[in-house]
Amino acid sequence: MVNVFNVQIFFIVFRESLEAVVVVSVLLAFLKQGLGQATQDPVVYKKLVRQVWIGAISGVVVCLIIGCAFIGAFYSLGNDVWSKSEDIWEGVFCIIATVLISLMGLAMLRINKMKEKWRIKLARALTKTPSNKKDRFKIGYLTKKYCMFILPFITCLREGLEAVVFVGGVGLSSPATAFPIPVITGLIAGIAVGTLLYYSGSTVSLQIFLIISTGILYLIAAGLFSRGIWYFENHLFSVQTGGDASENGSGPGTYDIAKSVWHVNCCNPETDNGWDVFNALLGWQNSATYGSVISYNIYWLVIIAVILLMLFEEKHGHLPFLKNLTLVQLNPMYHLKGKKKNNLTSAEKEELFDKVKNTNFGEDSEHEPLTEIRKEISDVEKVSN
Amino acid sequence: MLILRVVYALVWALLSVSPKTHVFHFNLTYVDADADGTFSRRMIGINNQWPLPTIRVKKNDRIQIHFTNLLETKASLHFHGLFQQGTNAMDGPEMVTQCPVAPGSTFLYDFKVTKQAGTYWYHSHSGSQYADGLRGILIVEDTEQDYHFHFDEEVVLSVGEHYHQESSEVLSKFMSRYNPTGAEPIPQNSLFNETKNVTWHVEPGKTYLLRIVNMGLFTSQYLSIEDHTFTIVEADGVFVEPQEVDSLYIAVAQRYSVLVKSKKSTKKNYRFLNIIDQEMLDVLPADLQVISTNWMVYNDDVEMPSPLENNDKSFENQLAKMHPFDDFYLVPLGKEALLPDADVVITLDFTMDVLGDGVTYASFNGVSYVPPKVPTLYSVVSSGKYANNQQVYGSNTNTFVIQNNEVVDIVLNNMDPGKHPFHLHGHTFQVISRSPEGMDEEDPIKFDPNNSSHTNYPEYPMIRDTVQVHPNGFFVLRFKADNPGVWFFHCHVDWHLEQGLAITFVEAPFEIQKQKIIPNHYDNCKSSNVSTIGNAAGNYGETKESWLNLQGENVQVAPLPAGFTTKGYVAMILCTLVAVYGVWSIYKYGMEDVNSEDTEAVIRKLYDILRTNGALEPEYDDGDEELLIAS
Repeated sequence: MVNVFNVQIFFIVFRESLEAVVVVSVLLAFLKQGLGQATQDPVVYKKLVRQVWIGAISGVVVCLIIGCAFIGAFYSLGNDVWSKSEDIWEGVFCIIATVLISLMGLAMLRINKMKEKWRIKLARALTKTPSNKKDRFKIGYLTKKYCMFILPFITCLREGLEAVVFVGGVGLSSPATAFPIPVITGLIAGIAVGTLLYYSGSTVSLQIFLIISTGILYLIAAGLFSRGIWYFENHLFSVQTGGDASENGSGPGTYDIAKSVWHVNCCNPETDNGWDVFNALLGWQNSATYGSVISYNIYWLVIIAVILLMLFEEKHGHLPFLKNLTLVQLNPMYHLKGKKKNNLTSAEKEELFDKVKNTNFGEDSEHEPLTEIRKEISDVEKVSN
Repeated sequence: MLILRVVYALVWALLSVSPKTHVFHFNLTYVDADADGTFSRRMIGINNQWPLPTIRVKKNDRIQIHFTNLLETKASLHFHGLFQQGTNAMDGPEMVTQCPVAPGSTFLYDFKVTKQAGTYWYHSHSGSQYADGLRGILIVEDTEQDYHFHFDEEVVLSVGEHYHQESSEVLSKFMSRYNPTGAEPIPQNSLFNETKNVTWHVEPGKTYLLRIVNMGLFTSQYLSIEDHTFTIVEADGVFVEPQEVDSLYIAVAQRYSVLVKSKKSTKKNYRFLNIIDQEMLDVLPADLQVISTNWMVYNDDVEMPSPLENNDKSFENQLAKMHPFDDFYLVPLGKEALLPDADVVITLDFTMDVLGDGVTYASFNGVSYVPPKVPTLYSVVSSGKYANNQQVYGSNTNTFVIQNNEVVDIVLNNMDPGKHPFHLHGHTFQVISRSPEGMDEEDPIKFDPNNSSHTNYPEYPMIRDTVQVHPNGFFVLRFKADNPGVWFFHCHVDWHLEQGLAITFVEAPFEIQKQKIIPNHYDNCKSSNVSTIGNAAGNYGETKESWLNLQGENVQVAPLPAGFTTKGYVAMILCTLVAVYGVWSIYKYGMEDVNSEDTEAVIRKLYDILRTNGALEPEYDDGDEELLIAS
């Protein structure tokens, strides 16, 4: 079963498609709230909505094409390298997968934060005016007219490529047949959840679903981490015995007795059917070592610690005992990208969203008077009534 | 005058035929030597010389060796193939018939060589020590009868392997959990007369008697001289009806005497090959000289043939050219008839298993030999009337008590896909049945007394003291227990001996008690802190119970745990608890988000509720402009 469905790929695609849907829904929500005076002009509104959809879908499609090409090429060219499945490579891939999944997993439980983040990002993108006046005429004109297409297109493309990279990093230890099904199901699941989110908001049932899927995700990640450590220990034993001891099956002499916590001669995830699923979901090994057991526990303890810290920060606004520190400040990228100045107060946020409402695009400046005329007409009609 | 001369002549005649006593002082010392010409290492020599001297005695002579150990480790000396009739204490194996000789001690070996003549050898019987060089040839010449063959000159030849590392290091790497398949350590080279590239100068038209000993501890070897044949006349001290062969297959510890007739012309020189049996090696290093070339030189002025090449196919190709004789079909000259049906049949099923420390051990019937705390011979001597009770000798020493003059059958079923040469101390035995190689590893050929092809014993079976069993096959040996003593029976691949592939015979215990053990042997035990009284656990007392009490005996390593142990259960429960707590924390974190509900959705819901209850105007329809203007 593990050969046709790689669970990590499913979750990555799920998460990224969820984010893409969130982007689309935020843009649609802006439009509904009056972005570019779209509420005043239904024709424009329809046009803009269509642009958003076309932009998003084409972004996703381009990504899928690039992704398939990349992975396809990689597999046809480098097949021998991975089919050797050396323990060290397997171990490294497992650890990479664990790290990737762990980082993105908890964010799924804060869908609202994700939406908020996109609102600000998109609002900024929409209100940014090019500094050079001359450029306004050339690119500015086009980008202004089709910006509701370009924005979702670029965003979806970027998110999608991120997904392709993650999927590549996580899935390259699997055979090529393990890619299609999780990608498709991940897309469907992500779109479904995103749509639900748009129409009914963040409900309890949606949250339960997200919690369950995140719970499974972290069980898988813990298992992966333990498995990665197990692969490293297995590699070490193979080097010490000068051969591939674990290839000899599950009997005596295929494992290092000094490092063994338990060993049963059956139920080997490498060779026995069904137990590989158990291994994929929960990290089961028929021959557990101190390393694999301890790493499993350490992983969970770290995750629990991080969750407790995040909960504390949400309640009190900072980390325990460190009044001025927040979790996001511990991320080195935060300081490198200069994101500090991106923190907006709520007043600044209000200002930003108002600006969005008043931005004109989708039409060139020639059409501006049309809206003025329409305003005058309605004023006149009001007066005449 | 004449009478004096006659007297002198008589005295001289008497002296020459009367048994001599050969006295040797062997001081064990380390000697640096480069046996194979590529690597100098520390070898164990005697009196600062290595290789060791060849001992040559006549039948019925007495040998006295003052064996002083000047090494850093313990030592012992065993005279391979000698019966030690009445002198069991001189046989040599550590913890079987003596205590190890500690550094600084001197041990006296004092015995007569009776009832046998032929080619023998002597070597250390302490662990794998003889791989470090403590081995030499011992020849017993027959005085009672002429040889049944003619030869012009005798040549003594040994073959063996060579390791560059000291055997203790090789052993520790071999018996480690990092060698889970129990692969035997591969030697670095093979030796011919303890060196390589030997030239043997011969004269044309002569018959040479080659006494060949395999002094190795692992690999069997093939020997062959191009364009010449061997005529086998002796095997392991047993003279046989001459058998002409084109090559010889000799397992470790075996000896053969062969006749080689040199050619009449001196136009050519010939290659004399000694070839390691590659099938015994688990791994073949690229630089190992499997085929070693030496030369039988007729004429120094003629060109020597170049050494044979060693590549992937060379062993196979060479093997195809040779047709070594199956020693099962050698017929002893004395034509001793098949011994009568056995009084005792001892069946030994040999397996290799990985035990609880991750190391592979060799077992007979599930029991791997572990040395007792008191040498078995001393247990026999000190246990008085309880000496006939097998339990006195321990539960992990594979000891079998047999009675005087019983006929014993040893049925050995080899459930391992390797070739093993087994040796019995104190006796030669009749090889009455031997199966071919078993081709199915899962279903080795076991001896079946009801199978007529297993039990059609030859009328005049081959007799020797070291015989090889084929992979996944069996052999049956028969001997008469007419030599009271404690005799070791073990695989002569020393690596396997260290893994425990041995049994002990206590043959006629009450007769053994009549033999004298010299005080020097007991003193030697004191210097190595080994007790000389007691059963295998070192227990003794007045009562039978005390002699049968084996508490404290040395036992083999416990088997591997067969599944989950306490440790495993604890680990599993801990992991489950932590994972449950982890998932619960995720749940808690996730549920926090639900409280900060989407304001838009709330407001929209509010508006819906108000609208349905008529408190609000209908919502703006996106495409309906009329409504917009109309209101």
